[in-house]
Amino acid sequence: MLQLRIQGRGGQGAQLAGEILATAYFREGKYVQAYSTYGGARRGTPVSTFIRVDSAPIRERCDIEEPDAIVCFDPSLLSPALLGGARPDTVVLVNSNRAPSSFCDLGDYRFATLDALAVAQKNDLGRIVNSAVLGAFARVIGSPGIEHLANVVRDVSPRKSEENAGATMDGYRLVRILGKPDPEGLEALAGITPGSATEGGAA
Amino acid sequence: MTTLTTGASQAGMPELLPGDVRMLLTGNYAVSYGAMRARPQVVPIYPITPQTPIAEKISDLQLAGEFDVDLMTAESEHSAMSACITASLTGVRVFTATASQGLMLMHEMLHYASGAMTPIVMVNVNRTIGSPWGFWPDQTDSLAQRDTGWIQLYTENGQESLDTVIQAFRIAEQLLVPAMVIHEAFYISHALEPVVVPAQERVDEYLPPFAPQHRLDPEIGESWGNVVNQDMFYRHRKRLGEAMARVPETAIAADTEYEALMGRGYGILERYRMEGAEIAVVAFGAMCGTARVAVDRLREAGVSVGLLKIKLFRPFPIEQVRAAVAGVPKLVVMERNFSPGVGGVLHQELKAALYGMADPPQVHGYLAGVGGVNVSARKIEELVGKAMTEEPVAESVWQR
Repeated sequence: MLQLRIQGRGGQGAQLAGEILATAYFREGKYVQAYSTYGGARRGTPVSTFIRVDSAPIRERCDIEEPDAIVCFDPSLLSPALLGGARPDTVVLVNSNRAPSSFCDLGDYRFATLDALAVAQKNDLGRIVNSAVLGAFARVIGSPGIEHLANVVRDVSPRKSEENAGATMDGYRLVRILGKPDPEGLEALAGITPGSATEGGAA
Repeated sequence: MTTLTTGASQAGMPELLPGDVRMLLTGNYAVSYGAMRARPQVVPIYPITPQTPIAEKISDLQLAGEFDVDLMTAESEHSAMSACITASLTGVRVFTATASQGLMLMHEMLHYASGAMTPIVMVNVNRTIGSPWGFWPDQTDSLAQRDTGWIQLYTENGQESLDTVIQAFRIAEQLLVPAMVIHEAFYISHALEPVVVPAQERVDEYLPPFAPQHRLDPEIGESWGNVVNQDMFYRHRKRLGEAMARVPETAIAADTEYEALMGRGYGILERYRMEGAEIAVVAFGAMCGTARVAVDRLREAGVSVGLLKIKLFRPFPIEQVRAAVAGVPKLVVMERNFSPGVGGVLHQELKAALYGMADPPQVHGYLAGVGGVNVSARKIEELVGKAMTEEPVAESVWQR
């Protein structure tokens, strides 16, 4: 069983990202379970999404304490509590413009980073980062298939479906993985200055 | 929550019966689809977290022309239940859903509904009751309605919730007793999972239209709500008790027939891996799923442990529970439900059910997961080990 935890803040689209991942795995014929917990159901408060993927029916009804992967939409949420159940083989994917090695003082995990904000801006999505993060996820975990995932993103985006699918493909291409050389084309992101928030995207 | 569904049947999953569709649904959406298949004519409802997606999806389905229903948005849960009772008394099928504080506000009308013999089916999404304010799973909201004369069925996942909503109409309408189908916040209500939505024709075959002999109808000229004398009240309460007493057999029959038609059945309780068990976990709702995983792991490690899942909680099926635990030396109740001054609610009910039984099992009561605190499979394994090495005490014991 693959067990994932996505940590974000209300309004960042972390919950929808979890639903998109669940849909992609479901359409691949996998059993999935995805749910989110949140306190205030409002922008800015932490939202935790838990996803299980398996080839057999899933019976557990509890939080994931030892995830195989943690996806963190906001580096400020990388708390000891969040990382507590992680193992050395746990993938920790962070939405950040920093290098993966810069997070290594937090523990011995397989860090990966994506400057999802820059990818979103490049794809005319303003501050909507979830579609880019999903692409990076598919790369570091090795599933779901990226073309298939991009198709699901295109299907479920309420608007700017091509831009969101493009961000997913870019996220897949541009994710930086600890211990591996930086991907080609990364320098193009460096020139993108975060601008003001605009509407659109998959959130 | 966004609708993300597909009707595609898939490799790796069981074959579907003709006309069935497999969809990726949250537990709450599964409830809405189950309600739609049962064809209630009236749904009075008031939204509350974490029940709201049920109301939203029913509204979506109505707008899409799939669900022909009079959806009434009331100004409170008290009014919603009042409208349910009135509508039901006219002889139509009625569905509603609520949660937590909303169920509390309905309390007065819950008694009225059972007294009026209105077979309303309501889903309650379990959520901690304030204060303090929270959105976490425990079952204290529905358990506080133990004495209102409603059937209570607790489910373990979205598929079971959908199937149980349909079954509940069958049971309620046969006995003229209202029924509550209950699932927990987040772990079920907001969990997206593959769910089979059965074909309408098969549900229609299972659940014929509701056609009560007595109803409010100017053509018939009957009424309800008059003042009665003590003797009439006595007879009425006794009749409610007689109907309640028939719930276990009626529910078993409803489930057996459902399984024959749909391929899925649950029973009113379930013995999971109880063969030769030295100890059995007793639980209800979502925790049963996690307990199955814990039981499997313990069995692999050579521990003779089983699970008794209580699905029907009201009426508490005393006879069936006694038969299910006969010969098991130890039971350990695990529950989130703390009743101040009493302890665990299921613990209390179970002990009462076993009192007077020949060679009864020892009963441990563990308060695990109170307030929505996570209860992992590992935690359940640990608590089983603890119960095996200690003598039970009368009180429920807090565990963290």
